[in-house]
Amino acid sequence: MNDVDIDADATDRMLLQRMAAGDRAALTMLYRSYHGRLCRFLSRLTRRPDVIDEVINDCFWIAWQKAGSFHGDSRVSTWIIGIAYRCGLKALRQHGDEPLEDDARSEARYPSHCPDEERELRDWLAQGLNRLSADQRLAVELVYGLGHSLDDVAVIMQCPVGTVKARLFHARVRLRNTLPALAGDTPIQKEQTQKESMP
Amino acid sequence: MNLPIDTGKDCARAWEAMPWALQENNPQGQHEWLMEHLAQCESCRAEFEQQSRLRMAISLPSDVPVDVEAGLRRLMSRLDTTDADDMPTRARPTSWVTRALVAAVLVQAVGIGVLGARLWSEQEAHQPYRTLSQNAPPAAPGAIHVVPDATMKLADWNALLHELQLQVTRGPNAVGAYTVVPANGASSSPDTLRKLRASRGIRLAEPVAPPP
Repeated sequence: MNDVDIDADATDRMLLQRMAAGDRAALTMLYRSYHGRLCRFLSRLTRRPDVIDEVINDCFWIAWQKAGSFHGDSRVSTWIIGIAYRCGLKALRQHGDEPLEDDARSEARYPSHCPDEERELRDWLAQGLNRLSADQRLAVELVYGLGHSLDDVAVIMQCPVGTVKARLFHARVRLRNTLPALAGDTPIQKEQTQKESMP
Repeated sequence: MNLPIDTGKDCARAWEAMPWALQENNPQGQHEWLMEHLAQCESCRAEFEQQSRLRMAISLPSDVPVDVEAGLRRLMSRLDTTDADDMPTRARPTSWVTRALVAAVLVQAVGIGVLGARLWSEQEAHQPYRTLSQNAPPAAPGAIHVVPDATMKLADWNALLHELQLQVTRGPNAVGAYTVVPANGASSSPDTLRKLRASRGIRLAEPVAPPP
């Protein structure tokens, strides 16, 4: 954890303390601070804005109620994203028979101001992530996107560190074999070879 | 691109270190080592470039449009609707559990107290504890030993006791004798003894002799 993370965590803890005392302004600040991160994290689970909004709502409703019971065993971000992860899984179970993709927006996914380069990067990533399982996508997002450690990810996903390592390893191998091909660099290698090398 | 593990320990180590180098969370010295290795290993360098691109792509803001302000308004209205119930719960998140436990402990304490007081009062009212080796306590004044006939019906026995206002305080013993005393606490009269002896089904009725 670098200095920026330490400062951010100290601010989050202060906001949680204020929330525990019933301060809605602190809740508003924390909500705005985490909304973007949670949107992106949950978008690896579902593409439906209504479900993502519902999960974020549930997450902060729980955070508001449980703020007083946060003992600081982990970073606040680990705690909040762990709540969002569990709420997300619950929402997926409730909406299990509905499509994960928002059809109305799938064709016009990117805003009009999105540069071609960024659009290309997003497409490249989306095609790679689509070849991963949901747990692998979330592990990649937590490590590469949100900058969590293996221990943090294990806490968030409520699984052993070894499981996180395996998910990340398989995700990286699959992405390594997929992404260059998507960019037209080299042909896709067979994944069987990598599976044999998994510790 | 060579495999991260099969091509040697350095490439495997570099493979492990890449995500944390991108996070700038590698231990001191690890980052320098990785940079040196990347300078020498083309395949790991290509892998690291791809990892950097992955991190850059994955760090882009979400492309799923979710309105933060609308979501916040919904959250606040949700809190408003449950505020009356939630406020005490939020201020003391486990208060209902604690209160339930405290209530249970109090009920148990009161119950134990009542039970103890009752047992104590009963013990005061009853005869003191006596071991089997101790002599039998003296019979109550006016007690009568009565031996009913074995064929005497229970209803007849009860009717006789009721008629003579007697109650059984002990028995039957090995020979089938009961000890009866007047139910009103008074001494038995000779008339009671006479009626007992005259009753059908009574084989013996003798007053209990007072201890010498």
